Amino acid sequence: MSVICEMAAPFVANSAVEGGQVARVFRGHAESCLKCQARHAAMARTARELEAMSKETLVGPLDLEWRVMSALEGDLAVARSWRTPIAVTAAILSMAAAVLIWRLRPRTQ
Amino acid sequence: MDKAQVERDRERELIARAQAGDRAAFGVLVREHGNEVYTLARRLVGDPHLAADVAQETLIRAWRALPNFRGDAALSTWLHRITVNTAWTQRKRARRHSGPPLDDFLEVAAPIGSDHPEVAGETLELRGRLRQALDALPEAQRRVVVLKDVYGWSHAEIAEAMGISVSAAKVRLHRARARLARHLEGSA
Repeated sequence: MSVICEMAAPFVANSAVEGGQVARVFRGHAESCLKCQARHAAMARTARELEAMSKETLVGPLDLEWRVMSALEGDLAVARSWRTPIAVTAAILSMAAAVLIWRLRPRTQ
Repeated sequence: MDKAQVERDRERELIARAQAGDRAAFGVLVREHGNEVYTLARRLVGDPHLAADVAQETLIRAWRALPNFRGDAALSTWLHRITVNTAWTQRKRARRHSGPPLDDFLEVAAPIGSDHPEVAGETLELRGRLRQALDALPEAQRRVVVLKDVYGWSHAEIAEAMGISVSAAKVRLHRARARLARHLEGSA
């Protein structure tokens, strides 16, 4: 494969996907190069398949609805992003309380 | 009144009820759009487990943002936008989940319009390679290709969603398509 083929590759791919002509600077080469023509044909087919993928729907986790609705119900309503900060804050407050209790403990002379 | 109009009216009513705080109505919307949200998430992040988390987080965010939904765009379009934003933040959080997906074939229905077994087999094979090629793309490039070539977003919409300029979006697409072509040639 020539260096020109490699340089032309994005333009060939774009032309195959969008249906227009290859950019002028590479048009002459692409029209005479079998490799680029094969790439054009393959990319055009790929584009059709990519488009067809939009009509495909994958099956998500069966418990997705349950997970969402439970999260909205209350106990899990705390967004995941808040869990860590809340846990860290609780740990710090607990330690502070422990230190305070230790300092204020009744001492015997 | 045609069937599509009836469906749209029904969805509009469900949205209005959900906006008023009716969780059961929102549950119906989750059931109807959940797989679609998961599909986009799966294509954007690659990893099925992370995609499930993205779908969950997207739908929770959607519930919270629902009062602001004015209905200018279709609900699915609005959900797609939230999915893209959520995928972006979740992916940054979970870089460690980067294993190549293996179970796509099991999840996907047979290709449309393929009554002949040979054609169906060939299409499935190409689609399998295509998914591998997509998964092999760098994250930012995959995102652009999926949004543009699969979901038909404009360059401007992609640029806005990804926080980049329109020309940067075009360049990424340019590179991604070339890379995809090379990967497919290599795996043929």
